[in-house]
Amino acid sequence: MNRATPRLRVLAALPFVLVLLAYLLVLALWYDRLPDPLATHFGPEGGGRADGFTGRTASAFVSTALLLGTAVGWNLFVRRNALWGAWATAGFTGTLLVLVLRDNLDAADAAEVVSPLVNLTLAAAGAALLALAGLALTRLVPEEEPAAGPGAEDGPRLPLGPSEVAGWSRTSASRPLTVLAVLALAAVPVTLLLAPWPGAWPALLGPVVGVPGLALARVRVTVDRRGLTVRPALVPRPRVRVPLDEIAGATARDVDPVSEFGGWGYRVRPRRTGVVLRSGEALVVRRDNGHEFAVTVSDAHTAAALLNTLVERRGRL
Amino acid sequence: MLFRVDPASAVPLGDQIAACVRGALADGSAAPGERLPAARELADSLGVNVHTVLRGYQRLREEGLIELRRGRGAVVVPGATAPDRARLVSRLREAAAEARELGLTEEEFLDLARTSLG
Repeated sequence: MNRATPRLRVLAALPFVLVLLAYLLVLALWYDRLPDPLATHFGPEGGGRADGFTGRTASAFVSTALLLGTAVGWNLFVRRNALWGAWATAGFTGTLLVLVLRDNLDAADAAEVVSPLVNLTLAAAGAALLALAGLALTRLVPEEEPAAGPGAEDGPRLPLGPSEVAGWSRTSASRPLTVLAVLALAAVPVTLLLAPWPGAWPALLGPVVGVPGLALARVRVTVDRRGLTVRPALVPRPRVRVPLDEIAGATARDVDPVSEFGGWGYRVRPRRTGVVLRSGEALVVRRDNGHEFAVTVSDAHTAAALLNTLVERRGRL
Repeated sequence: MLFRVDPASAVPLGDQIAACVRGALADGSAAPGERLPAARELADSLGVNVHTVLRGYQRLREEGLIELRRGRGAVVVPGATAPDRARLVSRLREAAAEARELGLTEEEFLDLARTSLG
């Protein structure tokens, strides 16, 4: 299992908690010296003059929500070697929030507040500082164990006669992905017809989302003498194939898209690749180099058993 | 669904493929409305001739278990009765094989079937 340990999750949340406390402390100290509303957004004119405003208390809530939201996001997706990223994010966001407060300090009129561009450099420095701290703390997290799925020796089996040939094939689909892809594609003609041209250009992003989405929404998974093949159900290409020669063993198990693959779709993670369309039953193949390939599909047990038998038979020949 | 054929067996390969689909339908590993792999693809998978697979699919179509449509490929007939129908066809084929072993002619077997109906 490659799930984040509780310790890793705590260490990923820690910088956000620290930054939030520091921000609230600064806010409390300066509260009476800040204008209401605060200048919270700055444009390029006049070297960063304020062009967006938020109430003093409201902005405290918004900032808190921002930090907590980012913390939750990092907590869901954090991995050991990305821990520094959580700290860098917290450092960048926290520095920027405090600097904006400082820019507002003692301002009679929030519209006159200027936030110089150098703030971004300072925020980057804050990010770098906390990133180093995060990097140092990574040592406290035990290294992720390489995925140790069962090999061909102890996986399921499918008894085959000496002259018998077998293949397994099944489609696997994701309804949410289908809906999403179809909506993205349908948005293109609708937007192009209804919106005037220059405003309609984002519609061209529709196919960028829709075409790969549709290709992944329904896939055909095939196990045969050549190995494991995954391709879109409607067209033969593009396809992903793990050749039988490179397979060490196969197993069927439940996968969790978020914690193991960081989401749905065609996922590439260190030592683990997958076509992950839903949570639950998946065919997981271990390659000779220890890497895993997973595809979510029903009746994965039969597929794994056939693969193990084919791998074993290849070894005998 | 799992396809397994034995080229060394006396049963024609097309019939073996049809039997796989019938079995999968009967035990629920293929659902009504499910699309079967394309004939060419299945032929590649099993290392058999594409016409062999098509012969198997054609037989399943005659048995009313799948629909063959140009461009759409082979699809298991929709409807909840498909698994039961698959089981019925399997039993009929067993009965026919038994009749052949007993040395019954086609006419005699059909007469028997007709008698069973009435």
